[in-house]
Amino acid sequence: MPTKKPTNTKKNIQESAQHAITKLEEENTQLQKELMEKNDKYLRTLADFQNYQKRMEKELQAQKEDIKKKYLLELLDLTELLKKSYEDPNPKSGLKLLLENLEKFLEKEGITYIDCKGKPFNYQLHNAVSTLEQSDCVDGTILDEIKKGYLLGEKLLRPAHVIVAKKKP
Amino acid sequence: MSKIIGIDLGTTNSEAAYIEAGKPVVIKSVEGQPYFPSVVAFTKTGEMLVGEAAKRQAVTNTEGTVQRIKRKMGTNEKVNLRGKNYTPQQISAFILQKIKKDAEDFLGEKITDAVITVPAYFNDDQRQATKDAGAIAGFNVKRIINEPTAAALAYGLDKEGDQKIAVYDFGGGTLDVTIMEVGGGVFEVLSTSGDTQLGGSDMDRALVDYIAEEFKSRHGVDLRKEPKTLQRVLEAVETAKIELSSTLQTDINLPYIYVVTGEPKHLELKLTRTKLEEIISPIVQRSEKPCRQALQDAKLKPEDIDHVVLVGGVTRMQMVQKKVEEIFKQKPKREVDPMECVAIGAAIQAGVLSGAIEKDIVLLDVTPLTLSIETLGGVATPLIDRNTTVPTKKSKVFSTAADNQTSVEINVLQGERPMAADNKSLGRFHLDGILPAPRGLPQIEVSFDIDVNGIMNVSAKDLGTGKEQSIHITGSTKLSDSEIERMRNEAKEHEEEDKKRKEKIEIRNVADSLVHSTEKALEELKDKFSSDDKQNLEKALKDLREALTGDNTEVIKEKTDALTQAFQKASTAIYQQAAQQYQQQPGQGSSQGESWQGQPTGDDSTINADYKVKGEKKKKNDEDAE
Repeated sequence: MPTKKPTNTKKNIQESAQHAITKLEEENTQLQKELMEKNDKYLRTLADFQNYQKRMEKELQAQKEDIKKKYLLELLDLTELLKKSYEDPNPKSGLKLLLENLEKFLEKEGITYIDCKGKPFNYQLHNAVSTLEQSDCVDGTILDEIKKGYLLGEKLLRPAHVIVAKKKP
Repeated sequence: MSKIIGIDLGTTNSEAAYIEAGKPVVIKSVEGQPYFPSVVAFTKTGEMLVGEAAKRQAVTNTEGTVQRIKRKMGTNEKVNLRGKNYTPQQISAFILQKIKKDAEDFLGEKITDAVITVPAYFNDDQRQATKDAGAIAGFNVKRIINEPTAAALAYGLDKEGDQKIAVYDFGGGTLDVTIMEVGGGVFEVLSTSGDTQLGGSDMDRALVDYIAEEFKSRHGVDLRKEPKTLQRVLEAVETAKIELSSTLQTDINLPYIYVVTGEPKHLELKLTRTKLEEIISPIVQRSEKPCRQALQDAKLKPEDIDHVVLVGGVTRMQMVQKKVEEIFKQKPKREVDPMECVAIGAAIQAGVLSGAIEKDIVLLDVTPLTLSIETLGGVATPLIDRNTTVPTKKSKVFSTAADNQTSVEINVLQGERPMAADNKSLGRFHLDGILPAPRGLPQIEVSFDIDVNGIMNVSAKDLGTGKEQSIHITGSTKLSDSEIERMRNEAKEHEEEDKKRKEKIEIRNVADSLVHSTEKALEELKDKFSSDDKQNLEKALKDLREALTGDNTEVIKEKTDALTQAFQKASTAIYQQAAQQYQQQPGQGSSQGESWQGQPTGDDSTINADYKVKGEKKKKNDEDAE
């Protein structure tokens, strides 16, 4: 009686092992399929991103071009008018209007002049080109403006280039 | 994984960059510039300034400002600022801290790791000092690499097998020449040479001197004496240098530069490239000796050098490039911005270390030429543009061109020409079984799906019946370079005539469509048109039909316009009549029937996805192994 059992068990073990193998094989196939799908999805997403980058680059270029056009057109008008005033024997009144228009345009774009003469030097707005030693002065005061500075909105467009007073000891 | 940035810690300016999606991006400072002045200052009130702000106030605060600290790296020298001693490492750390902070602002994430560059001639002490500076700034310094190595990396020269490389780095204040050997991705410095007292500022000074002397001889005033005028001349020199790299002559005009005894004076000067080169020539000449020295020390002849790389702003000047070409007997590389080259190379090294490069260098193919299908009149309508990265899928909806058309032919084309016949046909197939319907009504979705191996699946689906037909096309991304070149050139050559031909076809298509819709309207609304209008319409229709049998585009266009007008007049009358009768009737607009080509539906939304990706597993394994 007991002799028969082992063969039975052996067969059982074989069967259950075969079963497990089949199951694993199925799982493996499934996983391989999933991996393939995921990988394809990943590559497609990557390709999509690269294509998006290319498109953005193009769009950025187009935008740059548009901005350039806008300012160039303004500049063209100005040039035409300047030409006229150059030919005008009494250009002053025309030039005055031209300047006013130009200033209005800059104002509309949010440009403000940094008034700096006589004010204390501030590295956030001013760029010190040189210093001048004087006995009668407040140390660190701006004596002269070499190049005008401007703000664009709240941000610095160009610092004022200035000469700063240095008190003689 | 967090990003690692690459930093070019320079003598006058520092730059930083990182890798995003496989491409280097230069980091901008909070002030909006692509560089950071290597200047540190403490103000009277004890405030610390670094970069642009420190530079702006430098002359007003000489005792509290330090510049060019790089030259003291590795020494025990201390810098005293407002009563406190700082080591060069500490000062450099302030600069690095500023870069770290601005980079974090720029990238919107915390940065802890960095690759920092040093000159090739830096000794161990100097390298250690740089590493320490990084640590003080809070960086985990992943690697210190040589500046010329970084420059070579920016050009990808590490991938080209065994090479000998010369790096000519001519900046604002110094000249460095390095000869290196690269093999198996490892760089070895063979020799270095240079001149610490030679740079772009010497050239600017020489040019300012020339202009000032010219003005002085005419007006007796020295423009260098006044900061105001000197500033303007300096700016003019900068502009002239850039201008003269592309033109042979430039005008330096500085109106109202000076007032001499109440009378305004303008500076007007013509500067030729020859003159410019004559002025800077002695400075450029001086760069030759260090080059020869470096070659001699490396025991190499100019012919032994495989690549010459240019670094530094001065190398933008043609004369400098010519000089380098003359010394090394070959054209130097200068595609990468010479000011950003080193930082970009450092970023590439950082990218390799962080995996940012490995990860994104899954080499994806691009479509070398545009892929289209043939539509009415033999026009090639693109679905996938040239230079699109694959795998990708694009769909568009098309329609029939004739009434009761039950079959469409899909002719898949490759090439840049607007007409189908001029492009290469990759394959064609038919979709049959479309239900008989007026033209323009059936919706046929055509999809191009290219997988990672370049195999394209083209399918056409009748959205009404769900019937579908498809073909596989192999090798849509694989073309020999010469073939691509040839096809692109052809497209360029024929651009004008192609445009005209396409226009012609388009005019024909519009006319054709108008004939169709007029016929339809005449049939449907025969009782509504007044007899006059009807006669006019019929006449105009006949004329256009006749014109269409011929080949004169002008006539077709003219007759199309005439018919459009007649149509408009007739339909206006109908609407007026309807309005009078207070009856709202559905109108038949004149612009019907132009949808022969259908409307592109934008991108695919809910499309089946049965791609076949063979060899994918193998590819994945290869990636992992790398």
